[in-house]
Amino acid sequence: MAVDSLATRTVATSDDTSRTRPLRAVGRRRRRTTWVWNTIAVVLAIVLFFPVYWMIVTAFRPASQILTFHPNLIPLHATFSNFDSAIHAPNFLDDLRNSLIITGVTVVGGIFVGFLGALALARFVFAGRRAVILILLGVQMVPAVAIIIPIYLQLQTWHQTNQLSGVILSYIVLLLPFTTWMLRGFIANVPRELDEAALVDGCSRWQTFTKILLPLTLPGLVAAAIYGFIQSWNEFFLINILNNSPDKQNLMVWLVSNQTAHGTFWGPLMAGATLSSVPVVIFFLIIQKNVTMGLTAGAVKG
Amino acid sequence: MQSEVDSSISVTASRPSTLRPRRGDDGRVVPPRRHKQHPRLPYLLVLPAMLAVIAYMAYPLYRMVILTTHKTQLAGRFAPVPPPPKFVGWQNFKTVLTDGTFWQVVLNTVVFTVTAVALSMLISLAVALLMRRVSGWARIVLTISLVFVWAVPTIVATQVFAWLFDSDFGIVNALIDKLPGVYFQNHSWFSTSLQGWFVITALVLWGAIPFLALTLYAGLTQVPLELVEAATIDGANSWHVLRSVLLPVLRPLLIIATTLSAIWDFNVFNQIFALRNTQPEKSYWTIGIYAYEKAFVQSDYNTGATISLLTMVLLLGVMVFYVRQMITIGEAD
Repeated sequence: MAVDSLATRTVATSDDTSRTRPLRAVGRRRRRTTWVWNTIAVVLAIVLFFPVYWMIVTAFRPASQILTFHPNLIPLHATFSNFDSAIHAPNFLDDLRNSLIITGVTVVGGIFVGFLGALALARFVFAGRRAVILILLGVQMVPAVAIIIPIYLQLQTWHQTNQLSGVILSYIVLLLPFTTWMLRGFIANVPRELDEAALVDGCSRWQTFTKILLPLTLPGLVAAAIYGFIQSWNEFFLINILNNSPDKQNLMVWLVSNQTAHGTFWGPLMAGATLSSVPVVIFFLIIQKNVTMGLTAGAVKG
Repeated sequence: MQSEVDSSISVTASRPSTLRPRRGDDGRVVPPRRHKQHPRLPYLLVLPAMLAVIAYMAYPLYRMVILTTHKTQLAGRFAPVPPPPKFVGWQNFKTVLTDGTFWQVVLNTVVFTVTAVALSMLISLAVALLMRRVSGWARIVLTISLVFVWAVPTIVATQVFAWLFDSDFGIVNALIDKLPGVYFQNHSWFSTSLQGWFVITALVLWGAIPFLALTLYAGLTQVPLELVEAATIDGANSWHVLRSVLLPVLRPLLIIATTLSAIWDFNVFNQIFALRNTQPEKSYWTIGIYAYEKAFVQSDYNTGATISLLTMVLLLGVMVFYVRQMITIGEAD
């Protein structure tokens, strides 16, 4: 599934702070050419952003301004009619509900199983630890496109095709390696000295877990949850193969099937695309801050 | 469990200096455990994850190998219960490897992968270097644009590109049509496969560049300034600095990014599948789409599984190559 982009989203280190100071030796020559580079950067930013802009502009346009040979680049006369027809289009609400159910259960189940595994990997030394890591990394390497056939047949024998539960199971397993690995990192970052201090102060093992480890790994849990949300919300490949009925799909399949109907109603389609992007974009912006936030910084110092 | 914990605390807390190093069965010094552990606890903790992975991935992998050596017999008019699959040995592999379509599809996939990986790496490196060069505000503008593009779901991006390149009312045709002497109204981008692949590549690049560029830029900020400064004082121009200072430091990151892109682009499916209205024409088939066609359109799971297995073997080659290269780099350092 989206395993291929698994590695991508957490490395969200958009580093705004300018760490590369202009060098003294070449400073003057550089300053003269900087405006050229700045212009290129701004043009590039506009070109890259244009498809997103065009999607939003089209979503708010009346059909008469969409179906024209001379489209206006600047938006005029915003209308909500496209959103209205998208929401009332067949299966939109069903598939929206499916998307919410699938992502919700996947995130909760995946985080739970992943956190247990991460705890074992980060806090315990045990025989077979290396094998567990190898299996997890191996699973992540196998592309969903290559293994979908036996998975489909397997789920068929379990009567899990054309069911939300089959999709949820698939997403949990395919997200597991990354969730476990990510959470392992967050747990390992909590100094063991904190666990020990709590134990010395008379906390039980369970209390140590709930009062020290859980709150300190909370940002990690949030990040992993958002990550899982984005991945399962965006997934198209598996659910499209596993489920046939239009009312058992998610919003991504809805978007694609909408194009094939009879011609394409670009306005409502772009409105649907905008609607289904909004939660992902918001969460994506949050996760970036959360991942880079170090809550335990200085916890051992004082 | 409570008592175990308590005793270990009293040991570590009250007389840590008098502790003799613990020795394992083979007599080697075992690093002191922080607190005594329940021996079965870690296994219980990883059990659900391992069970899920083995039931869902390991067993199907085994089943895939079985599929490739058998021929499934379908239920027919005279046999309402399908007879058990017939063992056919290497027959499926022979069929696939002597199939002209398969090789055409492999060629499509390889050409696309090489082109897309090369372009995305070059463009992303250029963007990362550009970000290093511009003023703070321009970098922020570019970063915001990259992050937004990155956040857009693949399928949404595909639909937006389908709209941009629409033959009737697409903005791309309208803009090209404005060029003097060019008539581009109703131009169909998918009537010739070269132009179609151009749109597909543009879409894949648009989705890949944000991650790659931001990662490479993050890598560039890790290059010690002293290194660049020393090279500049020694008379190196920007090209020398790039070739002799920046690229060598970035090399491990570049290799990882290239490997990842190769794996993603080799398995490209969604973009082509959705861009071509879920029924891609033969000239746009990649290996993944071909396996899909065989298995889920023609219900020929045996051939489909054989193609998938061959894909994995091909990919394994790429992975082993890179792992070996990474090991040699590690030894050289």
